[in-house]
Amino acid sequence: MLCFSLAFAQEKNEVEKRIKKEDVPRQAKDWLNDAYENKRKTKWYFQTDGDEKAFEAKLKHEKHLHSVEFDMNGKVRNIEVLIDKNELDEEVRKVISNYLNTSYTKFSISKIQIQYTGEGDDLEDVIDEDEFENITISYEIEFYGKTDTEDELWEALFDAEGILIKKRIVNLKATDNLDY
Amino acid sequence: MVCILGSFSAQAQSDRFIFGFFPEASLSYKLSEKYSVTHKVESQHGLYDSNNLNEELEYEHSLTDLQSFIGRRFSPFVKVDIGYQYRIEEGENTHRTIQQVSILQRASFYRIGHRIRIDETFFKDAPLLFRARYRLKGQIPLQGLSLDPGEKYLAVSNELIYMIQSSEDDLENRFAVSLGFYFDDKNKFEVGLDYRTDDYLVEDKFRHRLWFKIGYYKSL
Repeated sequence: MLCFSLAFAQEKNEVEKRIKKEDVPRQAKDWLNDAYENKRKTKWYFQTDGDEKAFEAKLKHEKHLHSVEFDMNGKVRNIEVLIDKNELDEEVRKVISNYLNTSYTKFSISKIQIQYTGEGDDLEDVIDEDEFENITISYEIEFYGKTDTEDELWEALFDAEGILIKKRIVNLKATDNLDY
Repeated sequence: MVCILGSFSAQAQSDRFIFGFFPEASLSYKLSEKYSVTHKVESQHGLYDSNNLNEELEYEHSLTDLQSFIGRRFSPFVKVDIGYQYRIEEGENTHRTIQQVSILQRASFYRIGHRIRIDETFFKDAPLLFRARYRLKGQIPLQGLSLDPGEKYLAVSNELIYMIQSSEDDLENRFAVSLGFYFDDKNKFEVGLDYRTDDYLVEDKFRHRLWFKIGYYKSL
């Protein structure tokens, strides 16, 4: 597990900007309207992380913040839903807690998102039918973790069973204007 | 502006009002993974003082501070600094030692910096001035949910200062609002207003100071 995580450790340097609805591909807006049945308060963003480019819609649905990612053509890629620690599936929580407890001397979770990946029609069913057929579930967790040699903020991806797939360091912005 | 300032000072005879220009610049660089150094220069230039009889705009170099800090990061969120300041001021130049703890608090899209600082100022013929300060500064992106290069942000801060010199003590408050330009993580520029009030515990006296502030934060 440790080798695995070391091999996949990289850094996160995401850039995001707010865009107008008009700048979003038609296909993305259509998919969102079908799945979320014309939700009005949607904010659109354009995101880049190195070579990776995406459109992202953020909206509230059933008291949770949803982030829906689309490729440059407007094809839906995945849905991320922000959840509380206590909303995590009991079995998954045990496996993730076990990983954190054994890998870090000190840790604290700051953000948990369930990620649903699949085809457009299947992703639509997740939202409007509560069906999870042909859907890959994973968990994106941001946490502070300290070991004897590392002391960082991490973003890690765990699979449906709670096994670590990959993790990367989240670079915090300079604090000079807050400290002096 | 003079008109507004004039009416301000007319409200209470004992209130003193000062307006001026306050540029500052800081330079930070890492010594190692954990240790870093910051140099800062800040300067206050008075343009108006209600205590002056003619009450006209007139320039006065109030003071210039030269500061140097050495800091150690204890986690991504906690940093401890010790610093030294040399103040150039009419009358007497002073030395100040500074100790501070900075704590970064992150929220969904904004961030807050907590700064707890104590400092000691040494004078030639006057007793030691001791101050304890707490500052809270929020930084909110104005374009999107995260602050990316080339974007602007809003910074709001408030600092409360308790000071004591021999047996006389006082309180000072500093409230500042500024517009920030985040060129990239190594270059930031802030322009705004810093409103300071003090002499809270001094009878029949109260002082307002409004500074037009510009600041550049550079790291290597």
